Amino acid sequence: MKIEGEYTFDGPREAVWKLVRDPEVLMKCLPGTQTVNQVSDTEFTGEITVRIGPFSGAFAGRVIVSDEVPPQSCTLTVEGTGKIGFLKGVGSIAMTELEDQKTLMKYTGEAQIGGKVASVGQRLFDSVSKSMVKQGLDTLNEILKSNNA
Amino acid sequence: MESTAQNLFELAVTVNGTRYERTVEPRMLLSDFLRHELDLTGTHVGCEHGVCGACSVLMDGRPVRSCLMFAVQANGHEITTVEGLGTIDNLHPVQKSFQEAHGLQCGFCTPGILTTVVAFLEENPDPSEEEIREAISGNLCRCTGYQHIVDAVQLAAEKMK
Amino acid sequence: MEKKLIGKRIPRNEDPRLLTGQAQFVDDVNLPGMLHAAFLRSEYAHARLVSLDVSKARQHPGVVAVYTAEDMGKDWFPGPPLVSPPPTVEDVVFHSRRQVPLVKDKIRHAGEAVAVVIAENRYIAEDAAELIEVEYESLPVIMNIEKALEADSPLVHDDLDSNLAAQLSQKKGDYEAALKEADVVIRRRIVIERGAAAAMENRGVIAQWDAKGEALTVWDTTQAPIPIRNGLAARLGLSESQVRVIAPYIGGGFGPKIMMFYPEEMLIPWLAMKLNRPIKWIEDRRENFYATTQERGQVHDVEIALTRDGKVLGLKDNFLHDTGAYDPYGLTIPINTQCHVMGGYDIKNFTSEFKVVFTNKIIVTPVRGAGRPQGIFIIERMMDFAAKELGIDPVEIRKRNLIQPNAFPYEHGIIDQAFAPLILDSGNYPAVLQKTLDAIGYEKFIKEEQPRLRKEGKYVGIGVVPFIETTGIGPYEGARVTVEASGKVNVATGIGTQGQGHFTSFAQIVAEQIGVKVTDVRIVTGDTSEFHWGTGTFASRGAVVAGSAIHAASSMVRKKIFTLASKILETPEEELELEDGAVRVADMPQRFISLGELALLANPLRGAVEPGTEPGLESTAYYGPRYGPTAFGAHAMILELDPDTMMVKVRRYVVTEDCGTVLNPLILEGQVHGGVSMGLGNSYYEQLHYDENGQLLNASFADYLLVGATEMPNIEVHHVETLSPLNELGVKGAGEAGAIPVPAVFAQAVENALSDREFEINEMPLSPNRLFELVKS
Repeated sequence: MKIEGEYTFDGPREAVWKLVRDPEVLMKCLPGTQTVNQVSDTEFTGEITVRIGPFSGAFAGRVIVSDEVPPQSCTLTVEGTGKIGFLKGVGSIAMTELEDQKTLMKYTGEAQIGGKVASVGQRLFDSVSKSMVKQGLDTLNEILKSNNA
Repeated sequence: MESTAQNLFELAVTVNGTRYERTVEPRMLLSDFLRHELDLTGTHVGCEHGVCGACSVLMDGRPVRSCLMFAVQANGHEITTVEGLGTIDNLHPVQKSFQEAHGLQCGFCTPGILTTVVAFLEENPDPSEEEIREAISGNLCRCTGYQHIVDAVQLAAEKMK
Repeated sequence: MEKKLIGKRIPRNEDPRLLTGQAQFVDDVNLPGMLHAAFLRSEYAHARLVSLDVSKARQHPGVVAVYTAEDMGKDWFPGPPLVSPPPTVEDVVFHSRRQVPLVKDKIRHAGEAVAVVIAENRYIAEDAAELIEVEYESLPVIMNIEKALEADSPLVHDDLDSNLAAQLSQKKGDYEAALKEADVVIRRRIVIERGAAAAMENRGVIAQWDAKGEALTVWDTTQAPIPIRNGLAARLGLSESQVRVIAPYIGGGFGPKIMMFYPEEMLIPWLAMKLNRPIKWIEDRRENFYATTQERGQVHDVEIALTRDGKVLGLKDNFLHDTGAYDPYGLTIPINTQCHVMGGYDIKNFTSEFKVVFTNKIIVTPVRGAGRPQGIFIIERMMDFAAKELGIDPVEIRKRNLIQPNAFPYEHGIIDQAFAPLILDSGNYPAVLQKTLDAIGYEKFIKEEQPRLRKEGKYVGIGVVPFIETTGIGPYEGARVTVEASGKVNVATGIGTQGQGHFTSFAQIVAEQIGVKVTDVRIVTGDTSEFHWGTGTFASRGAVVAGSAIHAASSMVRKKIFTLASKILETPEEELELEDGAVRVADMPQRFISLGELALLANPLRGAVEPGTEPGLESTAYYGPRYGPTAFGAHAMILELDPDTMMVKVRRYVVTEDCGTVLNPLILEGQVHGGVSMGLGNSYYEQLHYDENGQLLNASFADYLLVGATEMPNIEVHHVETLSPLNELGVKGAGEAGAIPVPAVFAQAVENALSDREFEINEMPLSPNRLFELVKS
């Protein structure tokens, strides 16, 4: 399944990049995140609770950041497993500076899901993932604005 | 079962005219309660997610999916299962019509269809074919192709006039 | 003898129990001290099992045991091979790879069982299964049967060179020569996808070991209790007489409940012995989508050679068949496809090679139709394409090629699924087709109604398709018929029953011979302690094979009745009549003896049974056909289609069925209706959607759409009775017939409705979405 989109942040690219690379911030941004631990500079582990249709459950997972070109782009490799299924995905983000101190983030990724979430929740997964991404980026933008204020 | 013992619930329910009092876990489904606690195994479970209708029973005269309800939600209510409709020697007119019109094959979905149809005919004693098909559209049957079921409902409606 | 009961619309004996909730299904069995099982199944379709930690599950309160493959020790071994490859065909390739009770090293399809939890109740068992920690190393997944055979494809079974499971060729005449003579050759690639059998009752197994009595009792939702008993005895080191398998009332079979030896079927009895406690496992619906066998996936490259006037000179059909992760059921399905791809047509030159392919999907075994719907879909599509190309009416081209009534028995020179020669025993194919055309009003529809409706802007189309169904194969079935002292008759046979009305149609056969009421005949099926020789209910063979055995045993009992009554009434046999449960002297109706009294006299407490005779009014008989009878039929449908949404409404549906002697038209119509509804599902509603990682994306009835009451049309069923010369009753099977031609009829009708658009249907099943894409592209 493809996840694709773009988002405009109300702040400069350097500031957005800093937030994106801060596990504490990420934890606030991703709805349902229980813990985030930084294993190394480019590896994070954590736990997230997701609700998809009739299922809700915790996923334990790992995010690896690679191909980093600060403050411009990076690749994220995500793996998660839980009682309701598993998720694997690779995505990349690219950010460009806009006028008025704004930043455009383009993201694109390919996700595979399996288990109960796939067999029964597939129809809902698309909209759930979209709304989670939107909610996360909105929160990130709010933090960005309040930092700048 | 000590892990859940603190969460037990006292339940009183009338099923087919008999009052039962039982202590159940709150997560116990009404279908499991009827089948395994009361041994009323006529109610069948086909999909466990409310689509197939095999587990339909009447609660206060209205059809409900017993696989989508917890037993505790039936507390204080009256339930009718297929066992409450008629007996082998004294079939309900709907049951009799299903036999005469060959409205069943393996018989697994049948209890849910019978309870649905009994409630339907009370509301609509003189239904058209289209209304009958609509009424049973929430019950899946893999054997009959529905035609003989529709015939049976029409026959039952005539019998009950 | 004039038939009094056979052929009558008699309501069913079994119905009162089923209608009042008093019929016992497997899940209704409740034993004291019974434990409950839940399985942990792999979410990955192809993965190595790296580690498995069940310690938390074992400690969970209420859990009695948790077993993994390792815990089974030397008792871990794959299921038995069921159907071997045909011994008589040259150059057969067959790699037998059988399902395992629990995965030891590698997962080969999503849903394969990794561990089993036994607990005080199912709720606890499922809770504990969630506590099992598994580490998988995921492997590249093999989903597409064409790609699976490419040289660089990953392997489902690492010890094989490729994913080729089997390969077999069959030939008749000289196809290459036919090709040279042909005026027209049409080639197509046709793809057919998987569907589910989706019986309303999921599978279930309950096992009870009586340690002191050294007896194992198993309740199983199987279509074949006797082979299950024999297999379990062999597996568990017991004598067959120590194992009793009961298949009580079964909530629909449709194929997947046949003797597959599911992992659960092997494990639950083993665990019951191990733990010395009764154990119940009932499959849930999601498991049914992930762990119960499926069918239909094939890719055909087909070629048909014709003369200008539409006479088929030859047919070539090479195809791939998806067997899923294992192939316990041998070549039954692809051979069936091969035997049906010539349909009911007189085709002299034929060549067909199939390759069976392993994939990371659930195992394939027969589902109602068992390879036949694919064969019929292929030939009937090709007939439609030929008709269009040659400018011949689609019905006319079929008439020109049907096998004629004087050509029977029609020998094809290839073998069928039972490795018997494919011989079409009897039939009147043109008459069946004509009856169907008359009933649906083909000429009038084409000439008057369709043009009129088209002018009104309505998209209506007609489809007409004839088909054959090979039925009633061997090896054999048996039955024991006993007249009891009550005057009632008890019949035991080995096959199981899943709603086909055996308690009634078999009773009619018996009552016809023994002169009792149909309601006074008690049929026992599916209990190995009652009758322990036989195979099972599959291949539309119940009425043919078990029915014939019951008929033979009843005839023998009838003879015994006459012999004994003649002695007692001191009247020659020719002057006796058997009716209404008594034997009478023909012209002295007051001089009679009831069957009950006669049964008592046949089993005396004093005196001697004469040498050379047997006690009781009882006989056991067997019937094993050299080859099976072939039924024939034709379906016609008129549908209306909304070209904006591609939603379809079937306006009329006509079936003419020739399954030889009709035992009970009411039951037969029910079989046909149900078959058509499944066929309609296979045409437009039901498809198992897998993603490229082997995840089934519609594993619920909310997403996998069974046909409901509002989608089903009324079906008009007509009969032609061409008796089979292969059995005394003259019967041919009918259980699968309804489902077989529907996708072909549907495709023809849709193309006919949209004849102003340029598109072709080369796949099944369709859906409104898919049809929309096809028409727009």
